Amino acid sequence: MIKNYFKIALRNLFKHKVFSFINIFGLSIGIAAFLLIVQFVSHETSYDKFEENGDRIYRLQQNRYNSGKLTTQWAAGAAGVGKAVKDAFPEVEAMAKLTPEEGVMSYGEKKFKEKRMFFATNSFLPMFSYKVTKGKLDNALTDPFTSVITESTSKKYFGNEDPIGKLISYNKIDNYKITAVVPDVPENSHLKFDLLFSFSTFLKFAGPESETTFDWDGYYTYIKVIPGTNAQRLENKIKVYIDKKVGPEYKKRNESVEYKLQPLHDIHLYSSYMMEAEVNGNGQSVYFLLIIAVFIIIIAWINYINLSTARAIDRAKEVGVRKVMGSYRSQLIAQFMFEALLINLFSVVFAFVLVLISLPLFNSLTGNELNFSLLLQWQFWLTLVLLFAGGTLLAGLYPAFIMSSFKPITVLKGKFTRSKQGTLLRQSLVIIQFAASVILMVGTFCVYKQVNFMQSQELGVNIEKTLVFGGPNVIDTATYKNRLKTFKTDLLSVPGIHKVITSTAVPGKKPGWNAGGIKLVEDGDEKGNQYRIIGIDYDFLEAYGIQVLKGRAFSEQFPTDKKCVLFNEEAIKLMGFKNAEEALNRRIDFWGDQYTIIGVVSNHHQEGLRQPYDAHIFRLTPNTSSYFSLKIEKNKDPQEIIQIAEKKWAEFFPGNPFEYFFLDDHYEEQYKADKQFGKTFGLFALLAIIVACLGLLGLASFATTQRTKEIGIRKISGASIPQLLMLLTKDFIKPVLISFIIAVPVTYYLLQKWLQNYAFKINLSPLLFILPALLILIIAIITISTQTLKAANANPVKSLRTE
Amino acid sequence: MIELKNIFKWVNQGANKTFLLRDINLTINEGELISIMGPSGSGKSTLLNVIGMLDGFDEGEYSFMGNSVKGLKEKQRSQLYKEHIGFVFQAYHLIDELTVFENIETPLLYQDMKSSERKALVADVLDRFNIVGKKDLFPTQLSGGQQQLVGIARALIGKPKLLLADEPTGNLNSKQGEEIMELFKKLNKEDGVTIIQVTHSEKNAEYGSRIINLLDGRIEK
Repeated sequence: MIKNYFKIALRNLFKHKVFSFINIFGLSIGIAAFLLIVQFVSHETSYDKFEENGDRIYRLQQNRYNSGKLTTQWAAGAAGVGKAVKDAFPEVEAMAKLTPEEGVMSYGEKKFKEKRMFFATNSFLPMFSYKVTKGKLDNALTDPFTSVITESTSKKYFGNEDPIGKLISYNKIDNYKITAVVPDVPENSHLKFDLLFSFSTFLKFAGPESETTFDWDGYYTYIKVIPGTNAQRLENKIKVYIDKKVGPEYKKRNESVEYKLQPLHDIHLYSSYMMEAEVNGNGQSVYFLLIIAVFIIIIAWINYINLSTARAIDRAKEVGVRKVMGSYRSQLIAQFMFEALLINLFSVVFAFVLVLISLPLFNSLTGNELNFSLLLQWQFWLTLVLLFAGGTLLAGLYPAFIMSSFKPITVLKGKFTRSKQGTLLRQSLVIIQFAASVILMVGTFCVYKQVNFMQSQELGVNIEKTLVFGGPNVIDTATYKNRLKTFKTDLLSVPGIHKVITSTAVPGKKPGWNAGGIKLVEDGDEKGNQYRIIGIDYDFLEAYGIQVLKGRAFSEQFPTDKKCVLFNEEAIKLMGFKNAEEALNRRIDFWGDQYTIIGVVSNHHQEGLRQPYDAHIFRLTPNTSSYFSLKIEKNKDPQEIIQIAEKKWAEFFPGNPFEYFFLDDHYEEQYKADKQFGKTFGLFALLAIIVACLGLLGLASFATTQRTKEIGIRKISGASIPQLLMLLTKDFIKPVLISFIIAVPVTYYLLQKWLQNYAFKINLSPLLFILPALLILIIAIITISTQTLKAANANPVKSLRTE
Repeated sequence: MIELKNIFKWVNQGANKTFLLRDINLTINEGELISIMGPSGSGKSTLLNVIGMLDGFDEGEYSFMGNSVKGLKEKQRSQLYKEHIGFVFQAYHLIDELTVFENIETPLLYQDMKSSERKALVADVLDRFNIVGKKDLFPTQLSGGQQQLVGIARALIGKPKLLLADEPTGNLNSKQGEEIMELFKKLNKEDGVTIIQVTHSEKNAEYGSRIINLLDGRIEK
């Protein structure tokens, strides 16, 4: 029996090649897209899941309020919060604290600039269940000047030597003894490090306050609670406790601080605060992509249902004959289910091949990093099996029930006609397909426009032709100032370089320098607020094209400028000045020192347009070693400049690796996630539309075949070809049009939600909806026309003779 | 074998009933070859379908081989015709996707017969009907007469006691028609198969042992 089913299913497949192609191709695309997205999603959701006790680990996320208004949200907390919480609450089993560090590490001749380094408490490694591969975990980070490194770092500096007990040098100043080697941090961890230093070292540098104060920010604090702890309740208790501990002191400054328990597993997808250890993923994008995956697979399944029920009329005779030959309905259902099974099987196999072929393309197009190791994951195979079973059942059952229900007497007598219900169902399903397509298409347009908008806006700061390199870490403080001066003059004499600037921050990232409690001298502490500080030299504003609106810029003619500051427009607003004039020559209190406001400058987009303008205060720090920027003349080859700069660098700052980037690339990095999302979204939207159009093509081809006789009669009665085309096309355009009406409000709602992520965003103009809808309509009409044109042009004599 | 008593069948058209069959009383014994005749719309096919249990009726009694048909469930009814009745159609109704061999084999599939047994039975029938050479061809590759031959072979493969034929020669030329009728006669005589055929042709009707004339759903006496 099965053999017979198999045979007839296979012959049907081959006989109706167009239908089989549409079904199998459509399903394959759907399944392949689904698999790729699910892989991407499962990677994104896998972050930190490997952690054995991950469900008991929380990060203390800090919110700071000024005058009752939320002003800054931090991924890292205050220095004192960890110890305070650990000591006060018995349900906190362990606490780990880390603070980031950058610098040049060296061992022998080898030196590298390292960015993923932290001072970490000894409790960190055990809390995150790290195992050592060399050395001992016990007290690995207890003593000052001890360090734990990863295997890659060990290879990098020590090659095949055993690093345990060896000394590694930091900025050629301090030496750290390696106590243990741990495996590399997994790719799906939110906190990646290459080297750890003992926190007790930091304590030595910074003093005992670094264990207790609530006024220093920037300490990642993790707690592990005992099993069965209610996180919400603990969070409330911590709030009460902290309020009691530092509340009164803070109140004087009209400030407050609160801590949230952020579950470890939520950090990667749902956290984007100041000082995140790395750029995190976006839970919303992941969720949107998952919706797309579901859309595509549903569109493909609908194709199967539509085409099979449309074709039911073809199969009706067979059903009748089989019933008369003695088949039970259940046997017929089994037969049709078997056909669905076979089509799904082919599709799954084909989809599998598609995934293998398209993976590198998918990665390069979307910037994702999926690899073939997904074939080793049981989730991949489970998804495949589920899609196969789901497709067979969901798409197969309905047509099987419909087709097996035919009464032999009606179908064999030729009285069988297409039911109204069937047509209605197919039209409804087409509406769903196209509504989904429109949503995806408009979504793609909108994401594209938003990214484009962000890239094309005036930034208020000139980032072109700017070569930036991190300043030297290994320096001789006594001579640095003079050395820097000659370095600058030397570079300026190079043709093509017209400015050399030093600053504590460059555009493209939130400045690392955040200062709280800043107020006018005459004001009380309660008026204090937080500002982002950028230390600059005399040339910064001019070179970066930031306008001085009122007052003046820093100038070497005024030796007192070291005690002066510049405010940007946003900072003026934050301090409560009515206008720029009012701010001039006022004195502010900056951590106990007094500074005079000598100028007001224009706002600039320090960060990408996702973020609003920030309140910046500029201070004069001409001898900073954080960033050096070279402004290169327009027609100069930057490669030449890089070579010269590197040579000078080695000459002036030996022992420091030369690492550079171009500022515009660096700035673009901020949009990487958006661009990647847009591309991924667009790709799958395109696939969804292709699959939906395939279905429409199948239906159109079928319906026109059905109506051949009618067309013949109409033609003989004098209908013109345009009239016939109109007649045939009308039926298909209606559901497409209705789908627009359904899709628009849904899309509008979703896009509004998505755009909330951006401080600077496009308007949702009607055109944004009309253009993609029109495009889909045109695609649909072209699709249908390939079939209707054929039918309308056919010779009526032929079609009428066959009856 | 078949006993119809006061059979009525109607359809409702608005407030009126349109009768398709009126007060049919008919007894058919095993071994008969009966022809049903009458003009278009007189109810010939309807009567045949009622006898074949493909269609129901609204009033009266029908007993098939001692079983009262009225009270049977659909599954039981199809069980009954599956075992005892073969059907032949004017339009042959072969399954286009199956070969001659497979078409003939189909009814046996639904009787849960072993593959080897099925092969033997089909081979037998192919041989008897002289179509062994055509067994791997598809219906569209055959002439109308040949297709009908396959149709009859398929109807007979399950060894039914009753063969119902609805204008079996309607789509054939006269020579092909004659061959089919000769075949019916031979089946009836030699194998003892009871045959009921609907026909328009006086000449074909002559082959039967009895002719039933229908007019407006009534049997003409």
